[in-house]
Amino acid sequence: MSEISIIAASTVTAADLPLARLGQRFGRLDQQSQLALLAVASLNVNFDELAGDRIGICLAASAGSLSTDVNFWNGRDRVGGPSPTLFAYTLPSAAVGEVAIHFRLTGPNLCFVGDDQVILPEAADLLRRGGAEACVCIFCEVVTPECGRVISAPPVAAAHALFLKNRGEGIRTLREFDRDMKALCALIFQTKSAG
Amino acid sequence: MQISTHELKSKIIESLKLQDITPEQIDDDAPLFGTGLGLDSIDALELVVLLEKEYGIVIKDIEEGRPAFRSVRTLADFIAAKRPQ
Repeated sequence: MSEISIIAASTVTAADLPLARLGQRFGRLDQQSQLALLAVASLNVNFDELAGDRIGICLAASAGSLSTDVNFWNGRDRVGGPSPTLFAYTLPSAAVGEVAIHFRLTGPNLCFVGDDQVILPEAADLLRRGGAEACVCIFCEVVTPECGRVISAPPVAAAHALFLKNRGEGIRTLREFDRDMKALCALIFQTKSAG
Repeated sequence: MQISTHELKSKIIESLKLQDITPEQIDDDAPLFGTGLGLDSIDALELVVLLEKEYGIVIKDIEEGRPAFRSVRTLADFIAAKRPQ
């Protein structure tokens, strides 16, 4: 079985967004797409070293696009109606599209609604099957206060990203039972900070 | 009543959440779409909402508004002509 390496890891929160400089159109993205884009940018990976169509994207969104759905719904009584721009983000996979466009990644992509346990096995499967040479894995946790009131969940705004590569030299090898992407990102951050 | 292009540009920047751009950097006569400011079809819908929200102008037929969306100056002229008194 070929070895898969973790090349880079990152975690960002809403507190990091005001400092993000990711182009003139960054402001129009919903918070989930902004966090996903910033988490991938924070990997500091030069994606141009591989062909764009050989880099896949696997994303999981803990609450789908529910926060943006609620925001859009709340705009229905405003003069002129809800924001048309916001409508484009009432799909959980919108963040995948924004990452793909920004970094010109045209490989296979997957989007899950739920926790982060499925991302790494799916990404590893994609790489082992030869569907891609590398994969950007993203886990988004976005629950705005308005959405939190609807689903009785605490507000959260964070994104975690890992860059995996077949046989690459990286931080460490992806193990068969690595599932908890959020914990893995935290562990890598702690290890790097201690080193 | 004519509105200032500077005011309109400020509202466009705010409405479209454009980053790192000031009203002074937008040419009054530059195309809003494609080249120039580089807006797209979703931005066009957002501008339609802006016109209704800020100036009380409802565009029912997008073809009617198409010439108005050529530049900031044509949009300012359109608002001046259509704005309810």
